Amino acid sequence: MNGRGGSGGGGGARGRGRAGDAKGKDGEKRRPMFRRRKVCKFCVDKIDDINYKDAKLLLPFVPERAKILPRRISGTCATHQRKLRTAIMRARTIALIPYTAD
Amino acid sequence: MRKYELVYIVSPDATEAQVTDLHTQIEAIVQRMGIGAIEKTDNWGRRRLAYEIGRHKEGVYVIETINGNGELMKEIDRRLKVSDLVIRHLVVRIDEQEGIVARTQAARTATSRRRRVARGLPEDRQPGEGQRGDGDGDDDRDDRDDRFGGAGVER
Repeated sequence: MNGRGGSGGGGGARGRGRAGDAKGKDGEKRRPMFRRRKVCKFCVDKIDDINYKDAKLLLPFVPERAKILPRRISGTCATHQRKLRTAIMRARTIALIPYTAD
Repeated sequence: MRKYELVYIVSPDATEAQVTDLHTQIEAIVQRMGIGAIEKTDNWGRRRLAYEIGRHKEGVYVIETINGNGELMKEIDRRLKVSDLVIRHLVVRIDEQEGIVARTQAARTATSRRRRVARGLPEDRQPGEGQRGDGDGDDDRDDRDDRFGGAGVER
């Protein structure tokens, strides 16, 4: 176990070390994290036109600090995230959506 | 000919007459350039701004759909920039986007119809058929997610 740590040093070696760690954790009885599957809202609801004038549609994607919600969290597909981004930026220009909180 | 959408926010201090005056000014520019026309004007009225612009917290939103070309929009853009009454404006080209949306929608209905016919169903969705949630969107569907048979939640 310690031998692995000792041989570490280079980036690659560290990477391998981490992989070993993950395996060790799997060995222990750890319940897998329970996540609900993420789906693209725009694909599901068949929203083709992400319009910048529709603040109600865009607001859930700019929570709290008014930053654009990343794809990895919202689950939006790449195509729609791109369109969402332009829509949000336009909506910000005409003060429908804030650039920053407070 | 291209299609543009022009949004401008008029200062809340402006009178009703001044807002209409602004619209006539834009119309005049369109006419003077001799190309294109205003297709639609939409007045959203007074709205709260998401952030302060200058000292304003509110603004009067006006949206115009204009057929025209780049030259025309450039001129309108220039005029609005100069105007003191207009606190913010945005020009967006929309004809391409509209085309894409129309095409995807057409394609979608076409496939759905073809599939429905193949399944021996009437072409269009019947009212009250195959309901899933109440259509307001998100969360209610996910709560019933029991694909894992509730395993893992026990213990």
